[in-house]
Amino acid sequence: MPMLEETLEKIRNGEVLPSEHLEEKIAIFEEREPELNAFITPTLDQAREQAKNIDSLVRQEKGEAFYGLVWGIKDNFAIKGVRMTCASKMLENYVPPYTATPVERIFENNGVILGKLNMDEFACGSSGETSYFGPTRNARNPEYVPGGSSSGAGAAVAAGIVDLALGSDTGGSIRNPASFNGVVGLKPTYGLVSRYGLADLAMSLDVPGPLASDAYGIALAMDVIHGYDPRDRVSAKVQLSFLGSLDKFDPGSVRIGFSDKLLDGAEAPVVKTIQHVLKFYESKGVEVVEVDLPDIWTAFPAYYLVMYPEFASAMQKFDGIKYGHRTDAQTLYDVVAKSRDEGFGKEIKRRIIMGTFISMAKNAEWYRLALRARATIVRMFKKAFEQVDMILSPTVPTLPFKLGERINDPVKMYMADALTVPANLAGIPAISFPAGWYGDLPIGAQLMGPRYSDPLLVSAVRFFEKEGKQWSE
Amino acid sequence: MVRIGFEIHVQLKTKSKLFCTCPTNFLDVEPNTNVCPVCTAQPGSKPNGINEEVIRKAVLVALALNCKIRTEPIRFMRKHYFYPDLPSNYQRTSEPFAVDGELAGVRIREIHIEEDPGRYELRDGTVDYNRSGVPLIEIVTEPDMTSVEEARDFLKHLRAVLDYLDVILYPQIGFRVDANVSIEGGERVEVKNINSIHGVVRALKYEIARHKRMLAMGKKITRETRHWDEVRGVTVSLREKETAEDYRYMPDPDIPPYHIDPALVEQLRAQMPELPHQKKDRLVSEYGIDESAAWTFVLDKGLGDLFESLADRVGVKNATAFCLNLRGELNYRNKYLSDIQKPERLESLADLYFSGKITKPVYVDYLRKVLDDPTFVPKAQELLSEDEIRAIAREIIAANPDAVADYRNGEKKALNFLVGQIVAKTKGKADPKKAIQILRGELNR
Repeated sequence: MPMLEETLEKIRNGEVLPSEHLEEKIAIFEEREPELNAFITPTLDQAREQAKNIDSLVRQEKGEAFYGLVWGIKDNFAIKGVRMTCASKMLENYVPPYTATPVERIFENNGVILGKLNMDEFACGSSGETSYFGPTRNARNPEYVPGGSSSGAGAAVAAGIVDLALGSDTGGSIRNPASFNGVVGLKPTYGLVSRYGLADLAMSLDVPGPLASDAYGIALAMDVIHGYDPRDRVSAKVQLSFLGSLDKFDPGSVRIGFSDKLLDGAEAPVVKTIQHVLKFYESKGVEVVEVDLPDIWTAFPAYYLVMYPEFASAMQKFDGIKYGHRTDAQTLYDVVAKSRDEGFGKEIKRRIIMGTFISMAKNAEWYRLALRARATIVRMFKKAFEQVDMILSPTVPTLPFKLGERINDPVKMYMADALTVPANLAGIPAISFPAGWYGDLPIGAQLMGPRYSDPLLVSAVRFFEKEGKQWSE
Repeated sequence: MVRIGFEIHVQLKTKSKLFCTCPTNFLDVEPNTNVCPVCTAQPGSKPNGINEEVIRKAVLVALALNCKIRTEPIRFMRKHYFYPDLPSNYQRTSEPFAVDGELAGVRIREIHIEEDPGRYELRDGTVDYNRSGVPLIEIVTEPDMTSVEEARDFLKHLRAVLDYLDVILYPQIGFRVDANVSIEGGERVEVKNINSIHGVVRALKYEIARHKRMLAMGKKITRETRHWDEVRGVTVSLREKETAEDYRYMPDPDIPPYHIDPALVEQLRAQMPELPHQKKDRLVSEYGIDESAAWTFVLDKGLGDLFESLADRVGVKNATAFCLNLRGELNYRNKYLSDIQKPERLESLADLYFSGKITKPVYVDYLRKVLDDPTFVPKAQELLSEDEIRAIAREIIAANPDAVADYRNGEKKALNFLVGQIVAKTKGKADPKKAIQILRGELNR
């Protein structure tokens, strides 16, 4: 696959027109989509119209950041006039009357949007299998899951259907499919990218972020989508430069933290990949420091106690009355109960029931404990980042698994998130990048850093892409 | 002993809603036009902000009620329940931002900020979300009132304070009240959804009588929530304590805790307008009227303003008489002066009357018309000349020989009867004082 930088350069210097580039992408879409099921709502006509307009802008050198590069948008971001399903029967026919802030910024910068991407229902899942519109398949080996919940984003980027994808990450939903499909995915610092127009999962953890085939794509995307948005109260008044610092990684001045604890329960190829990456950075002059992460495994149960009640609260609005799936019935109670019963899938109901139970007044103590555990995680990272600039870990402790293998075992499924949820609880940035291969199965490594160190993490990945080699067996 | 406490919901007069920039004038526009993705809870939308104007108005009220403003950050909580008028099926309600206040001898426990839901029309199954997100404050009192009269008195004082601060979104709506009431030997009962001070008085009287009756019959009064049915004039049980709803309160993750700036508090304290009790003191010292008349005037802001305006024009004595009379007529109608359209008509009425351009019976008639008919404009009467009155007086004397005989026999009441006849015949166009004079002259001729 050509590097994103080269593609962009060809469009910039007029060798390839945006609409020609789009047709190349549509050709890949026609070839791979029937197998992958990465899209819920392709918007080919709108994309072609958009690309045609950008053709003339490029001639006037008004290409903005993207010059017609092709994007896929996870189907939990609102685009005015295009249905947003959140991969749920509940929103099968919901058409939002407004556009999400990050999507607005992509449009403004001449990103061509090819369609809305498949995902786990309401972003609840780590395998891409809970979608009402059927599972997505792994772009590297279709017998395997693509990871989740941004399953379509991971698969579409890996298959080359889109140059860039917008995903969302609550407990690993960008990094997990990035890892399973062998692409790069950044979960930005909480608040760095506006959540306005991103359907809620757990509001104190949700953050939009990009997936791309390489670090350059992540930097290009982040420069556009991040920045303060008055429509989101948690949005940060922070402006960073990603492309500006992309090639400024200085191994001599960076310390990477590591703890053996992070390899607890990891499969052998994953362990080997991480050791390989550590050795690479060390060989380039990065100082590797043993850090103490005593509470890292506390994050996992704490995550569920925080996420479930927030999710139950967020899902409260779906009652069959204002929008979404409606089952008619005699009483108001029945309309709400039956609409929800028919509209939601199994995992959604499981989380709503758990969340409702945890947030009941008599169980207030549990939620308080979870918040205390969360504060402990924040402190643990804060302490660690006094010693190091970033921490390396596997993204997922295991290799991708086959479709159907874990879908009926929620605890095993949830375990895939064990190393991604800590960054969400702490609100810190974390990036997953392709670091190894076991046969045709990709293995991702994760770098976590302190708040607003996002550009440094992207530059560290860029450094590995340029100077390093992926592990393989 | 009766104990009464209130939770009072006031829609605040701000340009835009609490969490979005939609206008608040929900009564003046077509249904579902003051709406946006935020106040209809479209999937993915987030609260845009906490409207600073809401904070300012809310703090102003708290200061006027002598509350302490909390300095720690205030969280907005989600209160979950399913109802069609509540677009996200949770209501955002803040923690108390003010505590420990006092008004008219009643302690204010706390005040917090809430968003109003939309309006659900049960009968036709429609919802109007224009009101959804309109800012409210809820003022919670201690159960310090021991009679219906005290309760009414407190609410009148509160209403006056809110009017002086000009913070009520729609004065004709006023505020909504939930009343807690208990009598000795019974548990506390909450009566919800009372929409006026008059309604509170009726609901409390009904409820206290019901409690007394229950106890007299040897029944128990258990804790429950009841609904005030304005039309039928009764309270109806909504739910018992055992089935109390669990609202699953949780801090809203979309709204960082809000810190009220102490500098803002001091600024608002310095800008505080004249409050009812201050105006009462001023009216007493400036115009020399008695305390009780002064209270009567200041507790209806419009009336107090009218009094001051009239006192300068028609004199303190006339202004006092006019305003007390007006208050009586308003009381009869359960209205505030601000409920009257084109209130400047009252000033012209006073001018007409006190300059002798209309007679007393006409003034009485006009006053009622001004209050009841928004299109009525008082005008000077065409008063009959002395000659015209004399001609009618002669007709009346000729037509009532018995009354004339009685008068001449020293029966003074007969004169009143004859004057009444003249007034009736002239439909009030004859000045009664002149009519008496002329009638006397004619009878004594």
